Amino acid sequence: MVTQHGIKLAVHLITNHFGNLVGVILSLSRLSDLFCSGIDIEILCVQKVCENLFSHGSLTLDQLIRFTELTKDQVKNSLLVLVQHNCCQAFVSAPEDDDDDADRLRVRTQYLVLFDNIIHRLRFPKFLETVTRTLDEECVELLDGLLRDGRLTLKQMVDRASQGKGKCFMMPVIENAVETKVVREILCKLLTARLVERCPAPEPVVSTSFKETTTRKRGAKSAKIFEAPETLEQRVLEAAVPGDAIRYSFTADMGSNADRETNSDDEQMISVEENTAKEEEILWRANFEEFVRHLRHKALIENIRTQHDDGTATVLSAVLEATKTVEKKVKLENSVPLSLDTITAEVMKTDTGRTMTMDRIRASLSQLGCSQRMIVDDAYSIDLKKIIERARNEEVESIVLKRYGRDAYRMFRLLSKDIGFHDTDQIAASTLVEKKEAPKLLYKLWKDNYLYMEKVVATGVKQITILMWKVNKPLLLEHVLDEMYHAALNLSLRMAFEQEKDEELLNVPKDKLKEPGPLQKKYKRLLNVWLLLGSSLMKLDEALMLFHDF
Amino acid sequence: MNLLPGKRKRQDLSTLSASMTNEERVVYNIIRGKKEMGIWQGEIKRETNIPDSILKKSIKLLISKTLIKEVVNIQNKSKKVLMAMDFEPSKEITGGEWYTEGRLDTQLIDALSDVCLKLISRKKVATRDGILEWTKTLGSEVFPGGVSPGQVEQILKVLVMENKLQEVNSTGFGDFSSIPAGEICFRLAKKVGTNVKVGVMASIPCGVCPRLKFCTPNGIISPTTCQYYQKWLDF
Repeated sequence: MVTQHGIKLAVHLITNHFGNLVGVILSLSRLSDLFCSGIDIEILCVQKVCENLFSHGSLTLDQLIRFTELTKDQVKNSLLVLVQHNCCQAFVSAPEDDDDDADRLRVRTQYLVLFDNIIHRLRFPKFLETVTRTLDEECVELLDGLLRDGRLTLKQMVDRASQGKGKCFMMPVIENAVETKVVREILCKLLTARLVERCPAPEPVVSTSFKETTTRKRGAKSAKIFEAPETLEQRVLEAAVPGDAIRYSFTADMGSNADRETNSDDEQMISVEENTAKEEEILWRANFEEFVRHLRHKALIENIRTQHDDGTATVLSAVLEATKTVEKKVKLENSVPLSLDTITAEVMKTDTGRTMTMDRIRASLSQLGCSQRMIVDDAYSIDLKKIIERARNEEVESIVLKRYGRDAYRMFRLLSKDIGFHDTDQIAASTLVEKKEAPKLLYKLWKDNYLYMEKVVATGVKQITILMWKVNKPLLLEHVLDEMYHAALNLSLRMAFEQEKDEELLNVPKDKLKEPGPLQKKYKRLLNVWLLLGSSLMKLDEALMLFHDF
Repeated sequence: MNLLPGKRKRQDLSTLSASMTNEERVVYNIIRGKKEMGIWQGEIKRETNIPDSILKKSIKLLISKTLIKEVVNIQNKSKKVLMAMDFEPSKEITGGEWYTEGRLDTQLIDALSDVCLKLISRKKVATRDGILEWTKTLGSEVFPGGVSPGQVEQILKVLVMENKLQEVNSTGFGDFSSIPAGEICFRLAKKVGTNVKVGVMASIPCGVCPRLKFCTPNGIISPTTCQYYQKWLDF
């Protein structure tokens, strides 16, 4: 769901993050005179390209040049930066049946901005923390490089690692080979965990015509099941992303080489060199999908821990850990079914689950909502969608309570639980809110898009207008998400403002800041402000993921 | 139609009628005719065309003879409704059993909520009937007018809406051992001593701001000029 403030936040993140990137590029090229103005122009270009892609949808290069009023080189460079950092995907629109010959020959490369990938930039520290918890420091460093630079080949990773150890670029080949082997091993660990993937196809061919997709069940009288059509972004990404066999593999392309008979040692050497060269050309990037899956699992487990207890959280954690590689998509509604024996075995592997009895595990599964009807062929499946929905409801209700008060909170919860409409008097009577106050509060909630209202005119002796109220969940979700994006943008802007306000403090030597006095007080305040704003933004990001990614 | 016990007999009515003036009789009959809905003075005037001064005098006399009474109308507290003494005002007029003198009886609501929460906190689980019995033992000092099963049920539902209680079905085991399996009962929504979780948005100024939709980066209301932010960051 891309909302108005979501787009504003995305553009802000691009401007913020790529300002630094462009700064580094220009400083390396030693264009010191043009340094400052250069950064401004480059950031402006990237920002403009991004804004236009958001407002117009996918565009060709010519269209972008026209809309942005930038030069061809400026647009191309901006697109390169966005593609390099996985914020944009190019694709070729497939010729349509009714296209004439001229149209078929026309270049149809279009560029699509990837909203989710831009917002993910906010949570790079969380992605790194995931690797810190599950793998070693070297993996963290390699991933850090991929997040900073967007996409890297193995050779670039090796160069980066060499730079980091103080070695110069010009190393003898043999020493680089050892370094390459080490970096390759680290990359393999990340690939095995699916935290890194091959970059998608640069320009997949995608049909841009949309037809209503329906499936008919067997039987003449059964209704058509309407499925929401895939968005263009979904189609493009599906076409671009390689299959799993290639996506997480070094050697998927090498299949034919491996099968070939080796005729001589020379041919074997050439083959190995060819393979090595091919390997080094493969572009790799962080697999955002897997990181989102990790974070979703983490949120589910923490939610259950708060709602129930550590034991139940352990059981859920074990189930999710056992099934994460077979989950077909991130937003899975129910966990992959597992037998009680498998679940028990998984729970026993954990530190906290080692002493849990079968009865305790069964009781936990029951607490997780695994009633008899959820158990099919002795396989238990947990309703994950329900846990997510519950967390979302709690978040929205918390806003209503804090913003509008206890009476409004009760009325909102009544309407949230019931699907249908209720009239004002009914709501006031059920929630014990003063009859005169109820309409005022309901109106406020409606004005701020938390409630949906319809007027019903009852004709009789007198014509009476009755107001009917309900919670429209899809509309409410979109609205709350937009408010969250707005709040995230505000937090970022305030952070930048506070930093700019006390910029001179950053240039003061640290010893002076340690001396008691007004300077130290100011510095301590700045640190506390950054900590509060930064941690609030990270927590708000968890709520953003809850409403958008999970 | 709600009638008080000891309805006046026909001969009493005729006796009373004889002691009334014509205007009083007309006014009384109109009021009595409206039964438990009552009627506003202005409507009587429209129906009878009796001059104001005589109408007011007649109403005053009827009240002094305890033939009619004034009742506060929940729909419009400034317009009192006149009703024959024989009738109890309807729910549309009073607002129901939770209203007294046209106002929501928050004292009663708070007292009953408090009793429910304390009992459930002590017993871990309780049914509606269990709580009703308990209110009776507390005596008339706490609930002078008594408490109906409907009131207890409604209070429990309101506490569920406030997320203070959970409605569950008894399993018949453990905490539920004194309650037959399958019966609806109530327990605390949160563990005793745990604080109500405040959401992420509710913890930051924007989340509770009534002006969020007017806020823009460079506008009059903006994150850099915001007073709520200033207070929040004022350590």
